Amino acid sequence: MSFSARLYHPEMEKEAFWGLNWQSTDAKVPPELNSGTAAAALLPQRLLNLNWNQPMSCDAGFESALSSAVVGQTGSICNSGEISPSSRRRGASNSCYSSPLNSPPKLNGRGALPMPINPMPGAHSVPFAAEPWFADGAAMLSNYGGGSSAGFPGQFGLPVIPANLSRVSSSKSLKTGTGSGMGAPEKGSDAGMLGPARMEMEMMSKLGGSSTPADSEPGNGQEESSVSSLRGVTDSNARKRKAAAKGKGKEASLSYAATDPFTMTEEENSDAKRSKPAEANGKMKTEQNGDPGRKQPPEPPKDYIHVRARRGQATDAHSLAERVRREKISKRMKFLQDLVPGCNKVTGKAVMLDEIINYVQSLQRQVEFLSMKLATLNPQLDDMESILSKDMFQARGLMPQPVYPAEMTSAAVSNVHQPQATPGQSIVTSLLEAQFSLNPLESSLHQSQSLQLVPLDGFTVASSQLGEFWEDDLQSVAQVGYGRDQKPAFSSQSYPGHMKIEL
Amino acid sequence: MDSKNSACGNPNPNPTLGPSKLMLAFRFLRALSLVHRTTPASSRTCRGRRIERAAYASMAYSAGTGRGWSRAVLRRLHHRARRRAVAPRRLSTTAGNRAEALRQLVPGGAGMDYCTLLEETADYIKCLTMQVELMQGIVDSSSSYGP
Repeated sequence: MSFSARLYHPEMEKEAFWGLNWQSTDAKVPPELNSGTAAAALLPQRLLNLNWNQPMSCDAGFESALSSAVVGQTGSICNSGEISPSSRRRGASNSCYSSPLNSPPKLNGRGALPMPINPMPGAHSVPFAAEPWFADGAAMLSNYGGGSSAGFPGQFGLPVIPANLSRVSSSKSLKTGTGSGMGAPEKGSDAGMLGPARMEMEMMSKLGGSSTPADSEPGNGQEESSVSSLRGVTDSNARKRKAAAKGKGKEASLSYAATDPFTMTEEENSDAKRSKPAEANGKMKTEQNGDPGRKQPPEPPKDYIHVRARRGQATDAHSLAERVRREKISKRMKFLQDLVPGCNKVTGKAVMLDEIINYVQSLQRQVEFLSMKLATLNPQLDDMESILSKDMFQARGLMPQPVYPAEMTSAAVSNVHQPQATPGQSIVTSLLEAQFSLNPLESSLHQSQSLQLVPLDGFTVASSQLGEFWEDDLQSVAQVGYGRDQKPAFSSQSYPGHMKIEL
Repeated sequence: MDSKNSACGNPNPNPTLGPSKLMLAFRFLRALSLVHRTTPASSRTCRGRRIERAAYASMAYSAGTGRGWSRAVLRRLHHRARRRAVAPRRLSTTAGNRAEALRQLVPGGAGMDYCTLLEETADYIKCLTMQVELMQGIVDSSSSYGP
């Protein structure tokens, strides 16, 4: 499909990049995989369920693009390839999806789960369920389909799996030869039943453990497998796959076997593949484990990313960044734990977050309640002085502004003389006068400088009108904001707005 | 006075404590007196809402503009001065994702990444607690003094 190829090409780099950098940050991943995340979550359990990427076959160009993009990294190839087609498919090639629907029934017969074919997991689940072979696979598929908001997410998972499987099978085939592999399929449906499940498990373990499933394979093998898998994916036509399989030999057949349930030849291949991947997975795993430091290119499923980090690829910049980020988050969570009362016993981020949310809500409710109470209470502001004195000093929270009081002294004096000094202001000024202390002035000057500006300006302005007070206050805030904030405009706006609010 | 001076003679023990209680009290009392002066006694709810807005405004001003939540609060105040915009939306964890619920609670949280959100939440909680203590103190004092 030329159009699909076009779609892929411009995005190929992006997809490949995405795949390569999935570890960099969570933020990076979600946007790319937002639809796939749901599927990604299901991936580990439903690797096999992952789409039989028939839609992939729709994109002839995709395959080439993928192969080119994923040099030597079948895993990444699978990811990027799978992901991009899935993402692209959303927009463009629904027709490709329809075709895969036909394949599931046949696929079921063969049990070629590992093949990434189905862009629509949901659609596949139905046909799969009909097949006896999919007794276990169907469940996975249905789950997968349900879990994924779109067909694409599933594809994400599948691409990975098929990639691995295809890779494995391809490598296997390369090593063992298709002849022996063919023998395996003879087992028939049973093998098919077990195969996918086994493969799924192995795939899952592989995914979890190996950040570089593709890496374990020799570069050539990976490329071949990826290419073959890609070809299988891109080849929506069963015949095409057959031809390709024949033409390519083992690799092609392997990938096609997974992707093309239709053809008998494919079936054999897939069967062979099934048996092979099961074994190959174990091998791959070991190989992958042996290659821990390998920088994993785009991992197809989202779990890959997490797994990779867990694998402790300390040398990987992406995992390092993620680890740093996680440490930051845990640090902040601990700080929050201290702030929120009663959170010490709570363990786990989710519960902690719940507690924090409840606490913030309760605080906001308290503010609302107290404000209503204050409205009706109409406090005697004349007594504010004593109130403030008692409250502020007892609370021991008044220290921070040593400079403030000093500055306020003169200002307060002038302010007091203002004709419009309100009781509150007088209270405050008196309070401030009481607070005067020059010592802390220098020490806190640097930190409370911004805040000091506010009262100073407000007072020194000596405006008889409260409005001017606010204005200066706002200006001071603006000054403060300039130092740290890039939104000076708000302060200028604040003045009129603030006045409005208060009045 | 000496006691007061000595009490406040220590520099801020926690430099990271953004807003100062004194500033908060100052601003809030100022605003409170203004509200009481300007709003008719009949509209209790209206005055209550104004007081609540004043509380958030003083909180945000005290926190300064170095904080995302304070900037968001002030932005909201100024842009929607006519409306009751300061009152935060009460969204529970029914928002599905807890991070989403937190984002809705903390002003300006929608545009933050998770890390920053946690930091802002901590600062916001600090300021909120200070404000609540202040208001509670005022209420207690007022009730103790008056009928």
